[in-house]
Amino acid sequence: MGEVAGMPDAQVEAEVAEGRVTLVVDESVYPLDAVYGATYTFIDRCYVLLDRAAPTRLRISLTPKHDADADALRAYVGELQNELLSCAWRSQIVRENRAVIEAVTLRAVSGAMGPPSLDELEDFDFSEEPFEDPLGIGLSWEEKYKKKGAADGPSAAAAPAADGGEERDADDNRDETESA
Amino acid sequence: MTAPSSTLPAGAFPLGGLTTDASFPAFFRYRALPGDRVLLTNLEGNFLVLAADEFRAFASGQVDPGSELYARLRDGNFLRAHFDTERAAEGLRRRKRFLGYGPNLHMLVVTLRCNETCVYCHASRAPMEATHTDMSRETAERCVDLALSSTSPGITLEFQGGEPLVNFDVVKHVIEYAREKNATIGKALEFTMVSNLAMMDEEKLAYLMAQRVQICTSIDGPQGLHDKQRKLPALKLASGEKTGGSAWEAAVHWIRRINEAYEQQGLDPTLYRVEALLTTTRDTLPLWKEVVDQYVDLGCRALFLRPIDPFGFAERTGPRLEYPRAEYLEFYRRAVDYMIELNLQGVQVLERYAAIFLTKILRGEDPNFLDIRSPSGAGIGALAYNYDGGIFTCDEGRMLHETGDDTFLLGHVSDATYRGVVGHETVRALVLAGNLDARPDCVNCAYQPYCGVAPSHSHKTQGTIFGRMRESSVCAVHKGIQDYLFEKIADADPGVMEVFERWTTIRPREHFIQSVDP
Repeated sequence: MGEVAGMPDAQVEAEVAEGRVTLVVDESVYPLDAVYGATYTFIDRCYVLLDRAAPTRLRISLTPKHDADADALRAYVGELQNELLSCAWRSQIVRENRAVIEAVTLRAVSGAMGPPSLDELEDFDFSEEPFEDPLGIGLSWEEKYKKKGAADGPSAAAAPAADGGEERDADDNRDETESA
Repeated sequence: MTAPSSTLPAGAFPLGGLTTDASFPAFFRYRALPGDRVLLTNLEGNFLVLAADEFRAFASGQVDPGSELYARLRDGNFLRAHFDTERAAEGLRRRKRFLGYGPNLHMLVVTLRCNETCVYCHASRAPMEATHTDMSRETAERCVDLALSSTSPGITLEFQGGEPLVNFDVVKHVIEYAREKNATIGKALEFTMVSNLAMMDEEKLAYLMAQRVQICTSIDGPQGLHDKQRKLPALKLASGEKTGGSAWEAAVHWIRRINEAYEQQGLDPTLYRVEALLTTTRDTLPLWKEVVDQYVDLGCRALFLRPIDPFGFAERTGPRLEYPRAEYLEFYRRAVDYMIELNLQGVQVLERYAAIFLTKILRGEDPNFLDIRSPSGAGIGALAYNYDGGIFTCDEGRMLHETGDDTFLLGHVSDATYRGVVGHETVRALVLAGNLDARPDCVNCAYQPYCGVAPSHSHKTQGTIFGRMRESSVCAVHKGIQDYLFEKIADADPGVMEVFERWTTIRPREHFIQSVDP
């Protein structure tokens, strides 16, 4: 293993003869979704392997599909580093701007698609439930956590299914709900 | 006052020693301009140019409420204490009006065959004998059916190629089929043809004029440059007549003839002209004046100084045609300075990039240029239909398909539904990727309200639809052009501002709208 010119040797190593380069990244700096996103952009040019180098450190191995000299390997590592930063930052931006991004996306796609035609409505399978709700997210607090023996209401059948068929006291569920 | 340090990157401002007061300014972005000035922009796209010391006072909350600066900041909606939410929302709504409807531009590649060979051909043209790359009438009808299903009230069917005049029968069939079908649908329907004009004749022209088809072509500059980049083989026809040899001569002849035909129809010659497009190569850069003069000589009212793209054959020929974007921006500044000078002398010619950005900057409206908007227009503003019926989010996506990359393929006209196409997962991904509110660098850029980068370009050049803007040649160009424009705006020369205002005046060409009687 050798160093890659200009790159920190504790994090970047190259096996030029083997045509391979490895990069170790700290997960507290680059979240896993950023590592996935960044490395994925290389799969057309490299074989990519991820493994764990240490409890909080990920090792990325790039093996170019075609011959690559030291300069080419260095360029791959440099591009990966920049893409890692881009993905990590983008992930944070998307979290912070989620409301506006979702609003614009919804408006853009729904504005472009428009309402369904009669033919499309005819093909729609109305027999299915509109969505599955195994966690009972769509239920009110009263429906989901009603006391045993409470009068059966319109939602009585849904609540047990949502809780795995078992009715529980509201207080019993509080910790589970808050930690979910 | 501290002058901007020359060691800082372009647009950066020395913040050392500045104690900011987050409670004073409303949300803003900033960028340093030459001459100790700072540009401020906000969420809804208002802008202000401040002197460096004014900017420091603003950022640190030290502006006298009775001062002229305070009034300017308040009027621009830059102050937290006076922030007008309703006004900001209305401004944003106006800028994003294009989000309310679907694709209005539908590009039909009626053939890949082309009679010219261009060194940078983005379309991956096919030789003239490749008749299998002609679109069939049936495929063309399915393309029109899909296009007219769009939620957009206006639809433009754009004939592209290859060279669309090679498959003129299908062009005619599309026009007639679309007109007939639209009679009951009632869209504002327009036809545009992008042609090198070398196969134009009087009969075809008479048909296109009668059907009110807008004609666009390519002019790369003076004859030597144009003919070097766009090869038109000399042919001897069966009749014995010789044709071809100079792509420039053919294009120039027909530009003049078409402009004459518009005038013969009684159309306003300041509005109805052949539109021509430039592809800037390395050889173009020193010829900025000759290029502008060529366009003015042809009576063109607009010149689009487009840099070369990396699609199609340009991927292979790029090394000898490409250039650093800093050199392009120098070319751009010289050319547009010269165009402004000509405008001040009474010649009316505008630069298309400048007009797009200035319309957003000065008018608060978006002209809906699909590659410079957020989110980008891929799939939701435009669709491209290949000769074989393949549907793509954009013409660049179609170009990538020709070189083996199907990332932007949405389906086939034979079995696609409109909602299936525009609601396709690839379109949704591109809407997210083309949204500058989700992109590093762009979220902090002062030019964010006016900008946009096509995800297809980032995909091609960087392997990701999200793009890394600091390494993007498109970002460099957009930033550089806006730097130039804001420097001019900051200088506030009355003559230049009058020219800029004129460039943002949108005059609809109603003659080309099929649903409106001429």
